Amino acid sequence: MSTSIDKSTFVRGHLRGNGDITFAGRIEGDIAIDGELVIEASGLVGASVNATTVIARGAVRGDITATESITLENGARVVGNVRAPRITIEEGALVRGYVETGTSTGSKPAARATATAREAVPARVVASAPAPKVAPKAAPVPVPVMVPAKKAAPAKAVGRAPAPVVPALKKGAKAKRR
Amino acid sequence: MAGTIIGEGITIEGELSSDEDVVVRGHVRGKLNAKEGVVVEAGATVEADVSGGTMTIAGSITGNVSSNDRVDLQTGAKLVGNVKAARITIADGAQFKGSVDMDV
Repeated sequence: MSTSIDKSTFVRGHLRGNGDITFAGRIEGDIAIDGELVIEASGLVGASVNATTVIARGAVRGDITATESITLENGARVVGNVRAPRITIEEGALVRGYVETGTSTGSKPAARATATAREAVPARVVASAPAPKVAPKAAPVPVPVMVPAKKAAPAKAVGRAPAPVVPALKKGAKAKRR
Repeated sequence: MAGTIIGEGITIEGELSSDEDVVVRGHVRGKLNAKEGVVVEAGATVEADVSGGTMTIAGSITGNVSSNDRVDLQTGAKLVGNVKAARITIADGAQFKGSVDMDV
């Protein structure tokens, strides 16, 4: 049984169920169906979309997740993540978000996406670059703390014990006890 | 092809407003406003206040119905709620509980 929401229809709430939907109107909530969803050129979806197959020619502000495939055609404007085992992004489609093909546990996401349009792949590459810089910085930081052990011991105590107690012990009480 | 059709397995929870006809074969919960006609087919359930033009009801509506034209309750229809319309027909076999205001 197929559903069609026409251009002049506005839904403030969500859409659920089984069946195919051709959506050309506006919706403020999310769509979660078991079936094929076609978002027409005049369609505006303001939240996430979840279906078996999604064909988008309109605007989606939210994540699109499909259990089979997603096709973003010319006219599609997506701001959000796109996830499906198979994704097709045609010439003219606009995407800003994370695009992931394969199943949720699959590897090699970037290799399988066939993208002929502008896509946010560079965003992922940039994000990973600062990560290796942070790691080597973190490593030397603990070392200078541990090496001068005598001086560092009261510093450690300050870190662990409450402040008013420690200055009294710091002057030598701890060393004697140890 | 004008108009919105809510298919059998589909549920809309929230407010639905349309400038054209709405045909409900599935379920709508919340509010339904249509500028043109509303058809609630047999097997459909609407738990909402419905307002619009011509209403043709063969399914179930729980909520108030307000029409600026006519309301037709067909056999098998079930309406629990108040009706405000200029014209109304209730077929034999339709179930209805509520008040009727015909702007008299």
